[in-house]
Amino acid sequence: MTTQTLKTSEVLQTSQNPKSSSPASVRPAKKPVARRRAKPGAFARAADTTLGRGVIQLLAVAVFFLAWEVAVRAGWLTEFLVGAPSGIWRVFLASMLDGSLPVDTWYTVIEAIIGFLIGTLLGSVAGLGLWYSAFVARLVEPFIVAINSVPKIALAPIVILWFGTGFVSKVALAVSLTALVALIAAYQAARDADPDLQALLASMGASKNRIFRSVIVPSTLPAIIGMFRINIGFALVGAVVGEFISSQRGLGHLIYSASSLYDLNTVWVGLFVLMFVGFLLYHVIDFAERRILPWRQINTAGQVQV
Amino acid sequence: MTASSVQLSLDGIRKSFPGKGGPVPVLDGLSFDIYERDFVSIIGPSGCGKTTVFNVIAGLLEPDSGTMTFRGEVVPGLQGRVGYMMQKDLLFPWRTVLQNVMLGLEMKGVDRAQALDTAREYLSTFGLSGFENAYPKMLSGGMRQRTALIRTLIMDPDILLLDEPFSALDYQTRLYLEGVLLDAVETFHKTVVLVTHDIDEAVALSKRVVVLGNRPTKVKSVHEIGLDARSPIGARSDPRFSDYFQTLCGELEIQTRQRAA
Repeated sequence: MTTQTLKTSEVLQTSQNPKSSSPASVRPAKKPVARRRAKPGAFARAADTTLGRGVIQLLAVAVFFLAWEVAVRAGWLTEFLVGAPSGIWRVFLASMLDGSLPVDTWYTVIEAIIGFLIGTLLGSVAGLGLWYSAFVARLVEPFIVAINSVPKIALAPIVILWFGTGFVSKVALAVSLTALVALIAAYQAARDADPDLQALLASMGASKNRIFRSVIVPSTLPAIIGMFRINIGFALVGAVVGEFISSQRGLGHLIYSASSLYDLNTVWVGLFVLMFVGFLLYHVIDFAERRILPWRQINTAGQVQV
Repeated sequence: MTASSVQLSLDGIRKSFPGKGGPVPVLDGLSFDIYERDFVSIIGPSGCGKTTVFNVIAGLLEPDSGTMTFRGEVVPGLQGRVGYMMQKDLLFPWRTVLQNVMLGLEMKGVDRAQALDTAREYLSTFGLSGFENAYPKMLSGGMRQRTALIRTLIMDPDILLLDEPFSALDYQTRLYLEGVLLDAVETFHKTVVLVTHDIDEAVALSKRVVVLGNRPTKVKSVHEIGLDARSPIGARSDPRFSDYFQTLCGELEIQTRQRAA
């Protein structure tokens, strides 16, 4: 429903309502009269559709790889140091066919996702929980800041010592990277929750638990889901760095072992697959956000374009 | 006669807030009565602690001393018995209009199907049917405040606490909603306590006006408003309206001069 139709139906509504003799609630629909400083050209306007943008984006990627390939073939770049798109494609096909690439990808993705889920869940719950007691929150704040200021990647060697070289250590690393981000984001959001909404519920006689469920959780959801986007990236970092240090499988392992053999094409395959995985997971979260927060998805058609 | 019996009585309410140089007294022995089915406006100079009075009545703030008596019974606060409405509509952005209206019923633990029926009925009474599934963001300011009013009324509170509920709206919308409020109060037999900085609104709507002094606040005077017209526009065109208006203005003006001296 657009704002326009809403306003019109409101007019109908009020005129049918005998109580409203004065057109009090009827206000003219405000249309932003934005004087554009620089008008987008005819081409930009025509191409600014899903299809148009997609074509341009694909074209840009194609041009990039083509230039790369040409540069390598012409001898401007050394294939030994930068790889070549044709070689990358060959490696990709071969490792897909022998099944090693899907297995490596699977390992990394599962490590990242499990690490993301555990870290984000623990962090969010703890962060939201801090809302219950300002005293405890103030008490633990310096500790959180201190722990957060350690670059978590520096923990990787210890994590490997503690959890071994297998699957668990990668998950643990991903958890260590995501948990504090989640905690801080959730706590911040809970603290910023509208105190007036909480007062309103309190005046209705709501308990603290009830206020938590009805105000704190829903009003922090946008921030928490926004944090998911950051954390999915961090979880991948954790998994890959863990694999760099010691592993038998995974995309991190693939990249690390290939680069020590100067097999640049394989390194690129690992990197591109990682990019693709991150891209995909980002969109999964985007999709989830649209389902969970329908009230945030109200159209912005009336927004002023600057 | 029940109409004039005391419903809520505040007696010697004191409240101070911690400040930089020790506690800052805000309420300094505040006492006044609210009758059954009363419409009391509280006016006073800005920053005199009107909202604090409210939060004390609503049970959101504990007074340092003093007692509140509700229908003969000393109570700490009126949680769950008051309907609270502020200048901000305080609609939950993640709830639809219908869900917002049902909020109070949910808190009371009313059966869901029944709550739905009641909510739909109220929405249609107040001309908002068709907007049940709209989110607050999609509504105009007047409609949002109307939704907030319905949410307050549907809980069937003993006392409506209105804290400058219409001051963010344009004049026409405000007149309209004042009318809606008066009708509703009449229909549902409610007691209303209205905090406003708008003398005009206070005279037009109330049966009595409580004037507060400067901080630390005491009750300065209580005025009976004897206008018969029970509509915001009718009251404003009553010849006695301007007399009341002048009196109350005078009372606030004296305070300004005192402060300047």
